[in-house]
Amino acid sequence: MWEILFSTHHTDIGLLYIYLSTTAFIIGGALAIGIRSELFLPGNQGIIPDSNTFHRIFTVHGTNMLFFWLIPFASGIGNYLIPIMVRYKDMAWPKLNAVAFWMLPVSMALVWLGFADTTWNAYPPYSIIRAPGPAAEMWIFGLKIAGISSVLGAINFVVTILKMKHPDLPLMKTPLFVWATLVTSLMIIVAMPTFAAALIMLYTDRLGISGFFNPAMGGDPIAYQHLFWFTFHPEVYIFLIPAVGTAYELIPKFSRKPIFSYGSGVIAFVMLAIVGFASWAHHMYATGMSFTEKTVFMVGTLAAVPASAMHIFNWIATMWGGRIKFAAPMAFTVGGIVLFFFAGAGGIVNTAMPLDFLTHDSYWVVGHMHLFLMGMITFGFIGFLYYMFPLITGRMYNERAAMIQFWLMFVGVSMIFLTQHVLGLYGQPRRTFDYIPVQPLIILNQISTVGAWITAAGAAVFIANLIKSTVSGKPANMEDPFKLGEQYYDYARREPHH
Amino acid sequence: MVSYSKLALFLIPVVVLFLLDVNSAFAQESSKQYMSARIEIWALFYRLMVVAFVIGAVVMGTITWVVWRFRESHPKNKGSITPSRSEGAHH
Amino acid sequence: MGHATIEWVYVGVVIAVLVYVGADAWNVEKMLTDAPPEAKVIKVTGQQWFWTFEHEDGTQEIGELHLVKGVPYRFEVTSRDVIHSFNTPDFAMMIDAVPGRINTIWFAPDQSGQFLIQCREYCGFSHYQMRAKLFVEEPTTSGGKVTNASADLTPSIGATAAAS
Repeated sequence: MWEILFSTHHTDIGLLYIYLSTTAFIIGGALAIGIRSELFLPGNQGIIPDSNTFHRIFTVHGTNMLFFWLIPFASGIGNYLIPIMVRYKDMAWPKLNAVAFWMLPVSMALVWLGFADTTWNAYPPYSIIRAPGPAAEMWIFGLKIAGISSVLGAINFVVTILKMKHPDLPLMKTPLFVWATLVTSLMIIVAMPTFAAALIMLYTDRLGISGFFNPAMGGDPIAYQHLFWFTFHPEVYIFLIPAVGTAYELIPKFSRKPIFSYGSGVIAFVMLAIVGFASWAHHMYATGMSFTEKTVFMVGTLAAVPASAMHIFNWIATMWGGRIKFAAPMAFTVGGIVLFFFAGAGGIVNTAMPLDFLTHDSYWVVGHMHLFLMGMITFGFIGFLYYMFPLITGRMYNERAAMIQFWLMFVGVSMIFLTQHVLGLYGQPRRTFDYIPVQPLIILNQISTVGAWITAAGAAVFIANLIKSTVSGKPANMEDPFKLGEQYYDYARREPHH
Repeated sequence: MVSYSKLALFLIPVVVLFLLDVNSAFAQESSKQYMSARIEIWALFYRLMVVAFVIGAVVMGTITWVVWRFRESHPKNKGSITPSRSEGAHH
Repeated sequence: MGHATIEWVYVGVVIAVLVYVGADAWNVEKMLTDAPPEAKVIKVTGQQWFWTFEHEDGTQEIGELHLVKGVPYRFEVTSRDVIHSFNTPDFAMMIDAVPGRINTIWFAPDQSGQFLIQCREYCGFSHYQMRAKLFVEEPTTSGGKVTNASADLTPSIGATAAAS
């Protein structure tokens, strides 16, 4: 226990990242269940006492899921696998690695204890002149620290991959997961400083010593939105690409076939990383942008689609003609790809400029982005956690329980988020504590809430499975735990304490 | 021999643009009435939904078929054990 | 890569679909962007947590807006405090109300009745009930009769909402 906490070894840091992020996933998920249960019926159900608490809950839910679940989990599996895959003994800078991790609990404590009500995007002027302190300050500093942590982690990954790679191993022979981590890390380094600057400006604005975003002092609130989305649209791909990498890791193995086209996977990664920076203002069509601006960002957004489409093609073509073993990791990955398609199709509709009048800031958007975050990314990560389970624990998880969890979550997530698209078309705004008591809003909200409960049941099975199998699971066959006919990861790595 | 037939794909957007142009030319005829944003927007929405659902049906159908046909337990997969690649094959 | 051709064809189809989506959206947006010059101006002001409307003749309404069917209106939307978003779901209209800026949007109501105006950008404590009523009346030439024409395309939750 103590040796893991004070360790700088990559598998220990990876394990800490996975602990922290899985915990964040569960407690953040509990907030979401609270939100959905409150919305089961119109009017105040008393599950959440008032709208202010509701606003704080969805703010912390969003911030927590993005910054303490998705990003740290990707760092966690990267920490485990990147040194193995580039054949180096550890990360390039083990101490920096530990520092980057240990900033996260601090940042997470700030976000959770502050419990701000700014929404996760903290648009001024609300976040400057109305959001109560010290919650908003704690949120700002929490994100500041999380940002620094992810930049440090990203630098470490880039250096490990590019400089510490075994000299006999060309970059084009590394697994696509390495490419995914490399591209993600480079994107973090390019994207994050903009938001870091915006956070400082937000803070000085709150102190009243500057007025960057405060119209009362001659500032421009829309400028913040540009800075924010310049970081956070690429960030969407930063969340996504590691999950794409895990799919590339799992699909060939479980289909017992080589990847259909390694080259197009690399091209798609690099394309997405570049084009992903050209679409940020599609989040801002409703702020009064001109026709020309909207057109530019619509084209930029559409230009990012072929890369994702190439990934889907590559996956299907890899499975085609294989002999696919549907163990839990593969089931979650393929389920994630199905939801990924729905998310992508909805996204193309979003970017069509006039349709923004229908979808923007409505439940459509909530459904759309959750299909990415919960569908593709979380499913990919859960599947990959099951795949790595023998590497981490030396034991096997319970396959039956994992498949039950998969079906609960797949049905639940589809019910929640596909339904929310329709809710959005009926005009229900997002971030609302209550809705108008008319049909079909009531029934759609109820379907969505029941889906959330089913998903929660799946999450309960997940946690039970993880705990029980860690303690008393069957010892795994470490050569080939999934009987795929090929070598598993180098499991000797996880015993560094000697 | 490089195939030039792929270039024909670029005809698709050209044809689409042409069709759109014809459409809007007809739309202009009733000039006395004001454009109804809600009708135009919902019409666009339903057009895109038709496209999305057609593509969705193809993609979902393909995934379902691949998952069904190439699963380990499929009868045709039982006898012939395809040789699995060694660890380094894609690395 | 011998299997490149099928992937190229696939990417070509994807790009063709995207070009169609982009072109169609561009076309519709272009048709809808500019308000007709004779449109009547209505100044819309959002503040925590209600809407104020000012007609061209100076009459003000709070929490209610009366329009006439078939007349084009141009809304000049702004805010007094934080960002709100002026949204009439039944007419597929929405634009942010940003303090220090005036955003415009226009439409000519083509159905009469009672509809919902709501705030669609998070604006604090009562965001979820920052609503107003939109009344669209028949032009006086047709006797001022209100026909609550149900929307043929839009799912209408507005009428019930405004009444409640």
